[in-house]
Amino acid sequence: MKATFPHLLHLDVALGILYPLLGIEIVPPPPITQKTIEIGVKLAPQNACFPLKVTLGNFIEGIEQGADTLFMAGGVGPCRFGYYGQIQRLILEDLGYDVQFVLIDHPRYGMKAFLDALRSMAGGKIASLRVIKAASLAWKVLRFTEDLEAQRRALRCQVEKKEDLDRIIDGAIERLRNIESVDDFSIIRKEAEEALASLVRRAHQEDLIKVGIVGEVYVAQETRINFNVERILGDLGVYVHNSVSTVEYVLHTLPLLRSREKLEAWEMARPYLKRFVGGEGIDSVGSAVRYAKKGFDGVVHLYPFTCMPEIVAKGILSTVSKDYNLPILHLAIDEHSGEAGLVTRVEAFVDVLERRKKRRSVTEVDVSWISS
Amino acid sequence: MNLKVGIPRGLLFYRFYHLWKTFLEELGLEVVVSPPTNKLIVQRGLTYGVEEICFPVKVFLGHVLSLKDRVDFLFVPRMVSFYKGEYNCPKILGLPDLVRNLFGVSPERLIDGEVNVREAGIRGWRRGFLELGKKWEKSEKKILRALEKAENAHRFYRKELKKGFFPENLIDQKPLYAPREKKVLLLGHTYLTSDSYINMNVVQKIHSLGYGVITQDMVEEQKVRDYLRFVRKPSFWTISNEIIGTALAYLVEKDPSVKGYIHMVSFECGPDSLVGELIERWIKRERDTVPYLRLEIDEHTGEAGLVTRLEAFVDMMEWRHAQRESNLSSSFAS
Repeated sequence: MKATFPHLLHLDVALGILYPLLGIEIVPPPPITQKTIEIGVKLAPQNACFPLKVTLGNFIEGIEQGADTLFMAGGVGPCRFGYYGQIQRLILEDLGYDVQFVLIDHPRYGMKAFLDALRSMAGGKIASLRVIKAASLAWKVLRFTEDLEAQRRALRCQVEKKEDLDRIIDGAIERLRNIESVDDFSIIRKEAEEALASLVRRAHQEDLIKVGIVGEVYVAQETRINFNVERILGDLGVYVHNSVSTVEYVLHTLPLLRSREKLEAWEMARPYLKRFVGGEGIDSVGSAVRYAKKGFDGVVHLYPFTCMPEIVAKGILSTVSKDYNLPILHLAIDEHSGEAGLVTRVEAFVDVLERRKKRRSVTEVDVSWISS
Repeated sequence: MNLKVGIPRGLLFYRFYHLWKTFLEELGLEVVVSPPTNKLIVQRGLTYGVEEICFPVKVFLGHVLSLKDRVDFLFVPRMVSFYKGEYNCPKILGLPDLVRNLFGVSPERLIDGEVNVREAGIRGWRRGFLELGKKWEKSEKKILRALEKAENAHRFYRKELKKGFFPENLIDQKPLYAPREKKVLLLGHTYLTSDSYINMNVVQKIHSLGYGVITQDMVEEQKVRDYLRFVRKPSFWTISNEIIGTALAYLVEKDPSVKGYIHMVSFECGPDSLVGELIERWIKRERDTVPYLRLEIDEHTGEAGLVTRLEAFVDMMEWRHAQRESNLSSSFAS
C-alpha cells in the first residue's frame, strides 16, 4: 500500500512522521501549485467549493506519483466538507483510476466501515502502544509547526531581517520531516526557539497595527491558495494573528480539550449567532468579536467562494463591524481570484487602518491635553 | 384586534405553510403572508442581502422586508432539522440570526425558536413548537393541542401534493394543469420549483411544450427513503436526500411515461452543487437512460435563455424517443 492524502499547510510534515512509524508507505502529493488547482478545477463540479477542487488535485497528483490508496476524512454536516469524499470517489471512479479510497467517516454509516478505515489508516492495530507513540509525536509536530507559523505572523512586522525569520522557520520545518524520535524533535524545537529569540527587532513596537484572521479552516490557513495574505500583511508592517488552526479543528469535536481562546470566541459569538451553523461559521463571528475586544485594528475574513457557513458569518459580521467599529475585509477565494486584485485590496485595507489609528491617537492626545 | 404574525413566503414556506399557519391561528393570532414573489421583492432582497448568499435566501430577505413593518411579529423559526439524523443547510440554520442582524429586528418581535429533531426526534419537534408558542400561550397543553391540529393540516397538505397538486394549487388556489401522457421529473428545492416568479413559470412552460411535471413532493416519502438506501452515504441535508431518493427511484424503476429529468438548482446553492453532480453522474452511468437537464437559476437568469434551453431539451427528449422506437422496430424486423 502506498497511501496519499490532501495537503493542509504543514499537515504533511506530521503525517510524514506518523505513517512511516506505523509501517505505512506514503507518497505525499507534490506541494500545491497552479497545476494542482487546474487539475481540480477541471474535474470537480463547477460550483463546488474551492477546497474540494484543490484536494482532488492533490489526489490526482498523488496517484501520478504512484499512490494506490487515498486517505480522506468525512463528516456529518451541515457543511459540504463531509461530502467531499463521496463526490471525489465518484469522480475518480469515472476517470477509471484503480485506487483504494479509505474514507474515515462517522460510525453512523457503518461501524465496521469505520473501524476498517481506522485500522487501515493506523497500519493494522488501532490501540497498540506503537500507534499511540507515533500519534503523539505527530501531534506534537503538528502543534509545533502551528506555533512556528504563529511566530512568523507575529514577528514579520517586527524583525529587521525578514529573510532570517523565514530561514529559521522554513529550516526547522524541513528538518522536522526527517526526525525519528521525540529527542530529535526536542532538539529542533529548542534550536528554532533560540534562533527566533535572538532575531534583532525594530524599535517602536507599541503602535503596530494589529490584524486578526478569521474564516474557514482550509482557506484561512493554506498560504498556497490564499496568496499568502499573512505575508502581504506582515510586509506592510502589520502584526498578524490567525484564529484558525488545524489542531483546534481536530479538537472541536472534543470541547473539553479546546483552547480557552476558542471557547471564549464561541461565547462571544452568541449575541450575534445563536448556534453552530457548520464549519467555522460561529468561530469566525466569535473570533472577530474577540479581536475587537482585544483592541485589534481590523479583521480579515478568508473563505472559499460560496462557502455556506462563512456566508452566514459574513452577513452577521456586518453587525459586528458596526457594533465595535471594526473594519473587516472579506476575501472570498476560488480559482478565479487574482493575486494583483487581492494585494490591492489588502493594501487599501491596511491604509484605512493606518489612517484610523493615526486619527485615533491624535484624538487621544487632544483629550489628555484638555483634561490636564 | 388580534396580534399579527408575518410569515415570509420563501425557503421552507412551501413545505410548512399549513403547519405554521394552523399552529399560529390556533394560538389566536392573525397570520399575514407576504405577497407572491414579485420584482420589487426580489430587488429589495438583492439590496439588503449579502451579495454572495444564494438567490432563494435573497428572495426570502425581500419577503421579510415587505412584511416587517406591517406585523407585530415576524415568524422565522430556526428549522435546524426536520428528519432524524439530518440537517438543513447552514443558511437555514442561521436564518433568524441573519434576519435579526441585517434588519435590526428586535428579539421580542422575532419568533425564532429552534425546531431540531436531529438528535431528539419527535421530542425535539415538540420542544421546538412549545418554545415557539410560549410567546403567546402559557399553557403547554394548549400549545400542544394547537400543534396537533397543525400537524393534521400538514399531513393533509402533504397528501394532496402526492395526488399531483402543486403548492400553488393548494395555497393560492391556482387552477390545475390538464394531465399529460408524457412527463418530466422536475427535481429541486420546493422554494425554486414552486415559486413561479423565480422559476419563470417553468411548470407552465414545460406544460405548454406538451409535457406534464412530476416533482419529488409527489412521490411517496417511504419510497424516496427506500431508494436512498442504495447510496453508500446519503447526504446530511434532508431536502437533498429527498431529491437523491426520488432521482434514484425513477432511475431504477424507469417509469415509461417519464421522458426526461430536469434538476433545477440555484447557482450559489452549496448542497445542490454536490447533489447535482451525483445525480448527473449516476444518470450518465445508466445504459438505457433519458435526457437530463440542469437548470441553474439566479437573479441574472433571463427568461429567453430558459425558454431556449427548455425547447432544446424537449427536442432532445423527442429525438431520443424516436431513436428508441426505431431501434425497437428494427430489432423486431430482424
